[in-house]
Amino acid sequence: MSRATPTGTASAVPAFRVVVARRRVPVLLLIELLVALVLLVVPFALAERIELITLMTNVLILSMLAISFDLCWGYSGIMSFGQAFFFGVSGYVVALVGRDLAFSQIWGTLPLAMLIGLVLALLFALFLLLGRRTPTPIFVALGTLTGSYAAERLVSGWRYVGAGNGLSSVKLLQAGSYEFVEGVPFYLLVLGLLAVVYLGARVLVRSQFGLVLAGLRQNEDRLAFFGYHVQLFKAAVFAVAGAIAGLSGALYAYHQGFIGPGNMGPALSTIVVIYALLGGAGTLVGPVLGTAFIEILSYWLADIDVIKPVWPIVLGLVLLLVVTFQPSGLLGMLVSTRERIGSYGRRGRA
Amino acid sequence: MPHDNDRTGTRPGIDRRRFLTGAGALAAAGWIGGVAGGWVLRPRWAHAAGPIKMGIATDITGPIAPSGNADWQVAQFTVEQINEAGGILGRPIELFLEDTASDPRIAVGNVRRLIQTHRVDVVLGAITSAMRQAIKDPIVNRGRTLYIYPQLYEGQECTKYLFCTGPTPAQQVDNLIPYLIKEKGRKRFAMPAANYVWPQLLNKYTRRVIEANGGEVVFEEYYPLDQAEYSATMGKIRDGRVDCVFNTVIPPGLQPFMKQLYESGFQREGGIVTCVYYDEGLLNYHPPQEMDGLYSCLDYFQAVDDPFSRQLQEGYAKKFPQTKYLFSAGSASTGMYRGIKLYEAAVKETGGKLGREEVAAAFDHAKIAQGPGGGAEMVPGKMHCRMNMYIAVCRVEGGKPHYDVIRRYDMVDPKEC
Repeated sequence: MSRATPTGTASAVPAFRVVVARRRVPVLLLIELLVALVLLVVPFALAERIELITLMTNVLILSMLAISFDLCWGYSGIMSFGQAFFFGVSGYVVALVGRDLAFSQIWGTLPLAMLIGLVLALLFALFLLLGRRTPTPIFVALGTLTGSYAAERLVSGWRYVGAGNGLSSVKLLQAGSYEFVEGVPFYLLVLGLLAVVYLGARVLVRSQFGLVLAGLRQNEDRLAFFGYHVQLFKAAVFAVAGAIAGLSGALYAYHQGFIGPGNMGPALSTIVVIYALLGGAGTLVGPVLGTAFIEILSYWLADIDVIKPVWPIVLGLVLLLVVTFQPSGLLGMLVSTRERIGSYGRRGRA
Repeated sequence: MPHDNDRTGTRPGIDRRRFLTGAGALAAAGWIGGVAGGWVLRPRWAHAAGPIKMGIATDITGPIAPSGNADWQVAQFTVEQINEAGGILGRPIELFLEDTASDPRIAVGNVRRLIQTHRVDVVLGAITSAMRQAIKDPIVNRGRTLYIYPQLYEGQECTKYLFCTGPTPAQQVDNLIPYLIKEKGRKRFAMPAANYVWPQLLNKYTRRVIEANGGEVVFEEYYPLDQAEYSATMGKIRDGRVDCVFNTVIPPGLQPFMKQLYESGFQREGGIVTCVYYDEGLLNYHPPQEMDGLYSCLDYFQAVDDPFSRQLQEGYAKKFPQTKYLFSAGSASTGMYRGIKLYEAAVKETGGKLGREEVAAAFDHAKIAQGPGGGAEMVPGKMHCRMNMYIAVCRVEGGKPHYDVIRRYDMVDPKEC
């Protein structure tokens, strides 16, 4: 249409109108609603299959961790291999609080876990992001990777926290005198928390703040030139993501009744990257789908002896294929880039 | 692993299991391997009330696998015997296996499947204390299921619904130490140890027994599990004029330790080495000369001259010919046998009721008249059982090491809880 007119400036206005006039189907929104619906139906459909409820609760908890990574990488360009670190430390802390202080009230320990994630992430950010030099993504990736590796080695030699055996028999999460064991109530609790986290993250990335993030993802230098303290924005997102990872780690420890060195090292951090990239980074719902896909598949395949030893290799290949051929993940096949990145401000404004 | 051939079946399980139920009726063994989350062994015959479901959680893979596989084989052997004799009050036992993989993180997830997916009535298993600590919560607390721990261990596990059927420190050293002091004239003990919970607590107990009997502990030292260089320790043994080494170093540090101890001339000069987890499985772990004269104290040795124990060994050898996983005491196999048979006795007493409260109440004073090394009886309210204990010494004849049983103690008290 507009291509036909010879002068670009004159054509810009009608072309814009054409785009506005064509109402797009909000694919992403539909997917989000569909996922929410499925997650709501699960406890009723599977109420008799307690082991599957347990599996799905685990998926939801790890989804939170995947969302926290998505906020870093998908929205702010921070390649964080440290999400498992915040996850693990919070898990250890709530387990220790339960063991040594006999305290596991939900109103106390979950906020504590978030605070720990937040503070740790801020400390990391202070060192990695807010230093004198502008950090490259590689620097941040290696910094966070080293941090989580060092933490894993540290706790696996520390007797007080159970050393290589980790902490088991974690005190059950309590609300008053009610104790959450694996099952539908625990599932609904996690689903509720996930909904809050998800909506919070969604509002954040679609706000003016999110617009800045979108900008710095595209061209960090230009945003800095505009006068934005780019690294401060990144640090803020990193801290929020740390808090979410912390919440997820605490829930994991309560749900599994166990937290160990393997829950805070690079292995988990890497799997989280796969969750997000497979599902589609920068969509929030993509990482949830990626987590569900990998965890449910693992659950089924874990019993097949032929597959068990090569399963990590399969996961590695999946990551390789996704990065090479489908960098926008599974959701990228359904959702347009325009919708993925989102639009800011009122529609129709020039 | 001998059972690997059986394990090649694939998921999804339902159809395969149905198929196997049919095929199994024809199978001479009468046992069926189906794979539906772990491994299932179903009895050939059925009962209207369904089978009694027994879960085994043990280390099939990883560093503890040699003991774990022995446990699993003994569980199969024992349950098969029970089923062939008509089950428990007419109901057969169905066995479910989950691999704890020598890794507590993997174990908690797998054990949960025994509880949630298979809804077993009882779980037996775990070798190390770390593993017991990790899986007791998902079984006893969250899973509200009975748990039986079969391994010799450091004691102090007094959890309700958790029964221990292996020897405790009291059972292992209360007779051994006085024997070494009074009859072998030992005075000065050394306690080289691996740095983890079992040696720490066992040594604490043993030190008291040594001192109460007039002996002296020259040193008590803890080494990383993989330490390979012990010359400083050998120096201390020599300088401290130690005449008995109470060893709790474990593999992988064990081999270099025993080698260096032998080469230091300790045994040649009349020193005695004692180590209370040494069973037949470790006989060929060292060159024979290093094993000669080593004292152990366990609930069973293959040299125990008891018709029932011998019959058990013959049956086991028939079911698993040429297996490298022995039915011996150090691997928790004897505790596994005892645990299953005590459970059988308890369920017989409840009249077939499988509720946790009822079975636990009956288990609390359950007894078996026979077993490897003799019978066993639970000490009411104490979660542990009395059993016969044996002191054995390793002798080498024609280059081949074997144990000679030199003392038998009847129904030794566990002194726990």
